[in-house]
Amino acid sequence: MTLLAALNAADATREVMWNISHSWLMYVLLVPTMLIAGYGVYRQVQKWRSGQPAARFDRPAERIKRVVKNVLLQQATLRDRFAGVYHFLLFWGMITLTMATIVVMIHHDFHIDIMRGRFYLYFQSLFVDVLGVLAMIGVAMLAVRRWLLRPKKLVYTDESTWLLILLFVILGTGFLLEGWRIAATNDPWGDWSPVGIVVSKTSLAVAGVETLKSVHFLTWWFHLALVFGLIAWAPYTKLLHVLTAPLNIYTANLDHPGGTLKQIDFEAAQSFGINSLEQFTWKDLLDLDACTECGRCTSVCPANTVGKQLSPRDIILDLQGLLDRSDLASLKAQGHGERPDEYEPAFPIIGTTDNLATEALFECTTCAACVEICPVSIEQMPKIVDLRRFQVMEQAEFPQQMQDAVSSLEERGHPFKGTQLSRVDWAAGMDFPTIEDIESPEVLLWVGCGGALVDRNQRSTRALANLLKKANVKFAILGREETCTGDPARRIGNEFLFETLATQNIETLKTHNIKHVLTSCPHCFNTFRNEYPKLGGEFEVMHHTTYLAKLIGEGRLKLDAQAAQKIVFHDPCYLGRHNGITDAPRKLLQQVSSQPLAEMEMHGRQSFCCGGGGGMSFVDEPADQRVNQERARQALATDAETVAVGCPFCTTMMEDGINTLKGDRKINVQDIAEVMWEAISSEAR
Amino acid sequence: MKILVCLKQILDPEIPPRDFTINRETHQAIQGSANLVTNIFCENALETALQLRERSPGEITALTFGPASAEDSLRKALALKADQACLVEDDPATSHNSATTALVLAAAIRKLGEFDLIMVGREAGDWGAGQTGGLLAEQLGLPYVAFVDHIESAGDGVTLRRQTELGWEKVEAHLPLVVSITNSEENVPRIPKTRDIMMSARKSVTSWKLSDLGLTDDEVKSNGEALEVVDLYLPEKKSDCDFIEGDSIDEKIDEFAKRLASIVQSA
Repeated sequence: MTLLAALNAADATREVMWNISHSWLMYVLLVPTMLIAGYGVYRQVQKWRSGQPAARFDRPAERIKRVVKNVLLQQATLRDRFAGVYHFLLFWGMITLTMATIVVMIHHDFHIDIMRGRFYLYFQSLFVDVLGVLAMIGVAMLAVRRWLLRPKKLVYTDESTWLLILLFVILGTGFLLEGWRIAATNDPWGDWSPVGIVVSKTSLAVAGVETLKSVHFLTWWFHLALVFGLIAWAPYTKLLHVLTAPLNIYTANLDHPGGTLKQIDFEAAQSFGINSLEQFTWKDLLDLDACTECGRCTSVCPANTVGKQLSPRDIILDLQGLLDRSDLASLKAQGHGERPDEYEPAFPIIGTTDNLATEALFECTTCAACVEICPVSIEQMPKIVDLRRFQVMEQAEFPQQMQDAVSSLEERGHPFKGTQLSRVDWAAGMDFPTIEDIESPEVLLWVGCGGALVDRNQRSTRALANLLKKANVKFAILGREETCTGDPARRIGNEFLFETLATQNIETLKTHNIKHVLTSCPHCFNTFRNEYPKLGGEFEVMHHTTYLAKLIGEGRLKLDAQAAQKIVFHDPCYLGRHNGITDAPRKLLQQVSSQPLAEMEMHGRQSFCCGGGGGMSFVDEPADQRVNQERARQALATDAETVAVGCPFCTTMMEDGINTLKGDRKINVQDIAEVMWEAISSEAR
Repeated sequence: MKILVCLKQILDPEIPPRDFTINRETHQAIQGSANLVTNIFCENALETALQLRERSPGEITALTFGPASAEDSLRKALALKADQACLVEDDPATSHNSATTALVLAAAIRKLGEFDLIMVGREAGDWGAGQTGGLLAEQLGLPYVAFVDHIESAGDGVTLRRQTELGWEKVEAHLPLVVSITNSEENVPRIPKTRDIMMSARKSVTSWKLSDLGLTDDEVKSNGEALEVVDLYLPEKKSDCDFIEGDSIDEKIDEFAKRLASIVQSA
């Protein structure tokens, strides 16, 4: 330390390869290392390239932004605090250490004298040491999680264990090497390496300089062997995500997750839906290799939460396993031929594992919680729909109650087999025009099957119509001309039927010259907003929560009574997660309630499905595996007296769940429109 | 085995009551907003035929007598992999009953060729008469087994399971034979594969008029004269709610009992 003052910081540097002879051998070893690693990457790239085309390089600015947020800043990973923090530490630790190694290479092998002065002291010594320590802390946290906390969502493999040990030993030997160098070379700048100086002093206390030189020599080569070993092995392990995750995040779907399902060219497609690996797009295949086995998708999956087979993580991992075992590149030459009479998948998927069995695939509510939570932008749900399509359109093998819904859609234009209601029953006794009576309405009220044909929801629909009348909105309904938008058909997997219904609806709306559509059903809303435009149907569609907020904002609708009860809002998946609308309903509710809103733990874009999406509301779930009861439990865990919803499917699912579990508690389920209508005093009505 | 399945297209019986209307003059239901669907028991019959063909080799012909729109029922049968389909087109203005239908179907079957097994639905979801199967057997001079829900081929003939009021009967029968099919857990109609729906649009459907079968309108009509629809009306649903008045609970109970007794006596 006394010397330090006398030394000029501008000259600060250290010796490199001071103890290593034949260091050229390192580059000789690097060649096979890079060849093995390179082959591992090349092999996967070739597999991805066998996939179908997908346009995922548009809008580069948005994509770069996404990479900055989710790769460099690790925002999505940090949503899981513990895992996020250690991953952040490891991520930046390893990047820094790699950079430091490159600096040494430039300095020593390229003879560019950069490892000198303040850069050497601040970066190469101090900063690298600190980041190294942080990386060590990261590894320790990782070990605690994997061996002590043992969360259910992780996959416990030997591979993970060995990778963890490798990282630990590489980091540890790095610090030892640094310390022994400082000790043996009597480095005057040693204090700038806080860990190094401690190692140095401790080592000198127990061993002489010559001994340290010998163990340094051996450890240096050991450290190098481990690093090269890790580099060579990485592409064959889940560490491949070091490359694939940033690439996957860059090529992520940038649109609303609700609009991400693929369109099928029914004239040209070899098969409708997917049951062979090469039918996926290259992005789908890249998804499989980007998976880090973190298990977040499965931990938020409503079906999995209630104990069903479905597990998005295992679907991805099983597909990845199939991809590993398949020589996809061998198919490339074949290309597209005449559609065969009976399609024979080259690399079959469905039914090859329990996770890929038909039963599991048809437990999905398409809520997309998996897609939303994935830190590396994997799209699990759209793949499930791809596979469902094959079972529905090529095999006609899927749950009977979903078959009934599909048949009902085909024959009656609505999915509710056996309903005794007609599309206009809810309006009985109310006086307002259908599209036949009114030339150009301000908005078309798209009631939706859920709003018209289910007894319970007639109340909500009437409340909405009353609010519109109160606000003097010139609206009309299609009445019997309305049919299902096709949403359930599409989610169940009958894309053909979806297109038929969609085309028919677009035609009807164009005939009536409709421009603005208002709906209380987030599924209809999503279809209008994200799916009809791709079929030539451009309409401005608003969900009733947004529209009512607009009416209040414009002063057209005045509320004069306040609800005294405590309200909690259940975000419908197709409103919140799929379309990002989470504020409008809350603002509305806050205006009518004298108390602050309660929130469930899972809310907003991280909401938990009511269990009714993806055609699941037509299916009787096993009594002990009901998603709606799980969500009802979450609602009952708040002190709310009213569960407000904004979706006819959520209304019935939540009401059913709440009524089953509420016991003596006073709590009810209401659509926002009902809550709002109650906030208008009877005199003002 | 050569199988023929008769299909009937009817107005969707699941139409909500509020949307269902009739014409009292012509004694016909008005279609209104209802769709046309294949009668469910006919679909059970087709399903039974498809399952039979899966177990032993055979050929399925779908036959319908109805307006041009009835071709949809045949297309659906083709999508489910019926081998051929035949439509006998009628004039939508004339009304038919089981007897006239049986006459026309019999003529069409004779023209189509020889069949081992002729299957019809137990009854149609519109009129629910349940007579066509028996009358068709009569026309063709063949034996008839009704309310069958399962068929196995056995040697030269078939083993049938038929539903009765008390349970099931197992029947052995020689071919050719006419059977009417009722529903069971086993013959829930399958749904077609989308690719087969698309392919079915390209398949050909034989289409005949009555004259192609050597029948005249009058001939057909006279065969149905034994049956006449005298009136067709929608039953009126009435419900009354009376509150029993009285000063004391005993008085109310007495009055209530009297009222109950009078209702029971009058009924």
